[in-house]
Amino acid sequence: MKEFTYYQPKSVDGAIGLLDAKWGKTELLGGGTDLLDLTKEYVAQPDKVISLTGIANFADIQVAPQTGKGSVVLIGAGARLAAIADHAHLQKIFPALTTAAGMIGGPQIRNMGTLGGNLCQRNRCWYFRDEHVHCLLKGGQKCFALDGENQYHAIFTQGHKCVIVSPSTLGPVLIALDATAEVQGPKGKRTLELAKFFFAPSGENEREHVLAPNEVVLSVKIPEKEGTRNASYEVRQKQSYDWPLVQAAVAFKADGGKATGVKIVLGHVAPTPLVVEAAAKEVEGKEVTDAVATAAGKAAAKDAKPLSQNGYKVKLVEVAVKRALLTAANPGKRQYWEV
Amino acid sequence: MATSWPKDRRLIGKDIPRTDGPEKSTGRARYSIDMNPKGLLHAMILRSPYAHAHIDAIDVSAAEKTTGFKAVHEINGAGKEVYFAGDEIIAVCADTEEHCRDAMRAIKIKFTPLEFFVKEADALKNPQSKTISGPAKSNVAIGAEATKGDVAAGFKDAEKIVEADYGMPVICHQCLEPHGLVASWEGDRLTVWASTQAVVGTAQQLAATFKARIPQVDVKCITHYMGGGYGSKFGPDIQGIVAAELALKTKAPVKLMLNREEEITVGGNRPSAYGKIKIGGKKDGTITAYEVDCHGSPGERGGATVNLGLLPYVYLDTIPNWKRKHTVVRLNTGIARAMRAPGHPQNCVLTDCPVDDLAAALGIDPLIIRRKNLPPNDDKVAQSDPTAWLGQRNNIYVRELDLAVKLSEWEKKWHQPGQGGKGPIKHGIGMAIHTWGGSAVGNLGDGQPANDATVIIDRGGQVIVQSSTQDLGTAQRTVSAIVAAEILGLKVSDIVVRIGESPFGRSSGSGGSTTCPSQAPATLRAAIAARDDLFAKIAAKFGAKKEDLVIEEGKVVDKASKKGLDWKKACAMLGMDEAKGVGAWSSNMANEIDPDKKILVNPGVSNVQVGGVQVAEVLVDVETGVVRCTNFVAVQDCGLIIDKLTCESQVAGGVIMGVNYALFEDRIMDRHTGRQVNPDMEFYKLGGIQDLPRIKVAMVDMPERGVIGIGEPPTVSTAAAVGNAVFNALGVRVPYAPYSPENVLNALAKKGAKG
Repeated sequence: MKEFTYYQPKSVDGAIGLLDAKWGKTELLGGGTDLLDLTKEYVAQPDKVISLTGIANFADIQVAPQTGKGSVVLIGAGARLAAIADHAHLQKIFPALTTAAGMIGGPQIRNMGTLGGNLCQRNRCWYFRDEHVHCLLKGGQKCFALDGENQYHAIFTQGHKCVIVSPSTLGPVLIALDATAEVQGPKGKRTLELAKFFFAPSGENEREHVLAPNEVVLSVKIPEKEGTRNASYEVRQKQSYDWPLVQAAVAFKADGGKATGVKIVLGHVAPTPLVVEAAAKEVEGKEVTDAVATAAGKAAAKDAKPLSQNGYKVKLVEVAVKRALLTAANPGKRQYWEV
Repeated sequence: MATSWPKDRRLIGKDIPRTDGPEKSTGRARYSIDMNPKGLLHAMILRSPYAHAHIDAIDVSAAEKTTGFKAVHEINGAGKEVYFAGDEIIAVCADTEEHCRDAMRAIKIKFTPLEFFVKEADALKNPQSKTISGPAKSNVAIGAEATKGDVAAGFKDAEKIVEADYGMPVICHQCLEPHGLVASWEGDRLTVWASTQAVVGTAQQLAATFKARIPQVDVKCITHYMGGGYGSKFGPDIQGIVAAELALKTKAPVKLMLNREEEITVGGNRPSAYGKIKIGGKKDGTITAYEVDCHGSPGERGGATVNLGLLPYVYLDTIPNWKRKHTVVRLNTGIARAMRAPGHPQNCVLTDCPVDDLAAALGIDPLIIRRKNLPPNDDKVAQSDPTAWLGQRNNIYVRELDLAVKLSEWEKKWHQPGQGGKGPIKHGIGMAIHTWGGSAVGNLGDGQPANDATVIIDRGGQVIVQSSTQDLGTAQRTVSAIVAAEILGLKVSDIVVRIGESPFGRSSGSGGSTTCPSQAPATLRAAIAARDDLFAKIAAKFGAKKEDLVIEEGKVVDKASKKGLDWKKACAMLGMDEAKGVGAWSSNMANEIDPDKKILVNPGVSNVQVGGVQVAEVLVDVETGVVRCTNFVAVQDCGLIIDKLTCESQVAGGVIMGVNYALFEDRIMDRHTGRQVNPDMEFYKLGGIQDLPRIKVAMVDMPERGVIGIGEPPTVSTAAAVGNAVFNALGVRVPYAPYSPENVLNALAKKGAKG
């Protein structure tokens, strides 16, 4: 791997000052679970690596009660995935988040990986990760997955030249929960809805998110809404150490037996997390029954345009959405598919 | 005097924890990859990024200028062709791993990419093309057809016929310790710390490599601990030779171990097997005919794929009419190597899965069809050698089937295919049976056994077992200690075992499940010889006749006077001497016939051929296609069991590998780049503890048969059993492994489409 200079600034300002305005020369280091791989594979070859671990309170998880309106949760970008998964209060109010965080990678990954890293990590496409393959995202002319080995790639491919799937499992959950991210760059801070955080890249100067190369995610804020129900369901081939084949994150308000404000977001099926409004519409104002959840699943999968080898994932979308909805609607209740 | 195992066994056959367990589990055990002699240099191999290319030019000038650069060693130079992505071109040596990588990347190679095939279907569509090395005219070699009986008549006789496709993908070796070695020269002496399953063979191959240049070359290979081989590590390989070359060139010790990507792409793999199979039978379970037309790929260099001579496998002698045909498809991919029971897991899928489908078509329990078609006993053999497999195999299988049925609660749990429950999670149970050799290795060209062991008793009472054999994780070290301790009346912990160094006598490579049946009898003979040497040397001081001395636990006893002496006190009578015994063993000795009595000279010391029955239970989520293997029963015989605990551990390990083969593993090649897209542990999937079943192992102990190897058989029928369990759950055959959500849902969709 290429030699680089390592920095560990004590402040966010210090970190931003070290960052380059273009992609490639500088990289931010959180837990290192992604960057180390990328550098060893010569996919990332930074001159400077800027660790965020020296910044005070960067990993804090704060729960601030709001009078009469539940609480607001503020999670520092440096918070470890394990700390999120194990947080007792979060488990109570945002099971979608803690379940998703608790299933990422294995214990080693979760003890190193961070919230910020999960949102900003690079995709796992095996062509992108192979040093010898010059794909679109590395300045090449073509996406090799389009007519190559694409069993794990996107099934919502319309309008995309590059058919990676977004690797973030927390992204879909945070979008469903109406979270916002606080971001800081050379010009100061800005707040970004998570729904607008992700981006479908198609060239070497683009990433899987909208941040500028010299911006840093500081924290994520999630509002707790009264009567909120939420869940994340992943279809995985392996229960240990595997990527989801498909993920569905759902959130709604249980309003006298009826679901309102329904949000359904898919993960690992498109270059970004995918909000499926048509599916939410199937549930809005209704009781979440098997039939309603099934209809929502079908609506979520309707527009899929799979590639040559991943048609099976369309069916998985239907199932993941259905199961996420039923899980959210029946918290703590054992579901018929659970073994 | 004839060799035999003791009748009363104090240690042999008991549950004895492996003696090196604490070293391994605390990290104190030093593997070859842990060896860092002073002044160590690091080496790596620059490999072809292309599946097939001509090397036009190699320019190392920029590499030579990089920091820490020491030397290069060319493997395939300009003008040559490389035949798969990963094929070796040139090795580089530098002072650190990082500098070595930098130097390697600074080498400039000009290639002309050439036509290649990495998918079997593509090569089969282009049978005239040749993109591989050697004299073959085409990538595709269609084998001769073999038949027994009258296949057409057999199918005519059948009440039901099933025709279907079955297949297993190429899977890659994934030893936790990678291939490679550390090489160090001192004058004409080369020492290597190698990750190998052939300590002596590796030393010999390295000596042969340097003999012409260094006539007095003396090679010592050391493998004290070993992180798995499974058939993929039988010699120094190119990387080992290159490390020794670079060590010679740089006059410094050199380490060259493969990284994970190299391990998967060049460390060896198990060939694929895809078969079109037709099988027919009658309602009473009689199989009347079997026909297989299969193909598979052993990679670029060719070789066997299935074990064609053994198809239809366990039923070879029972099925009266069969026909088999096999096509070998050479691809521009990494080279196949023996992987735990070469050819057998594929054979088992190509027979035991169709057998279950036939049972379903006939409307009978697959247990009935198995019982009906078990191979018969050979009564003549049974009379001349009651310990032989052929004379009793039917009885052994029946005994094992009965045990497997009981332990798996088959009678309660088996249901008609597709009747696995109401919800989306369907239960399934499936069975498969297998066989394997596991004999001792024979004599070498000089007529002497390939394996020996030495037992030394010193005057302090210390016992040392010495052998050049290797312990790949199979517990050979523990086995040697148990055998010596049994004979000498000591505790296992009293024995010092020194193995894994080539100067310690003769030993063969650990392949074919031959190590325990070769080494345990050799150790038995050595321990007996050492004991007798001790008796002879101390008899006078003891005041006894040497013939009257016997071993009791912790003591040497004079039968005549009933006088007993503590082991250490007895050994002290050796004075300045030591007692020593050398024992050798081979299959020739196991098979030796007394010319007068016409019976075996050494019956029941070691033997050959075992059977096994496995039952898998699965839960299949028919909405997602996710398969979980939940319970597993493995019934296995291996003659005389030396250590029951480590024996069961071998069986469990075999089952774990087999479940991975069934559910997760798949080498995925890209048609356009010619490269493997998953040379890692991320998308080359391996089950974690949550993905593996509760495994119940039942050993069928047959001490009268003597020692037989156990390494390979328990992985043979696992994938077929899991495949049959999935079939039982779904009522639909998932034709191709891995039984992944993709393959399961596709099979269900196909059935849905057919109605």
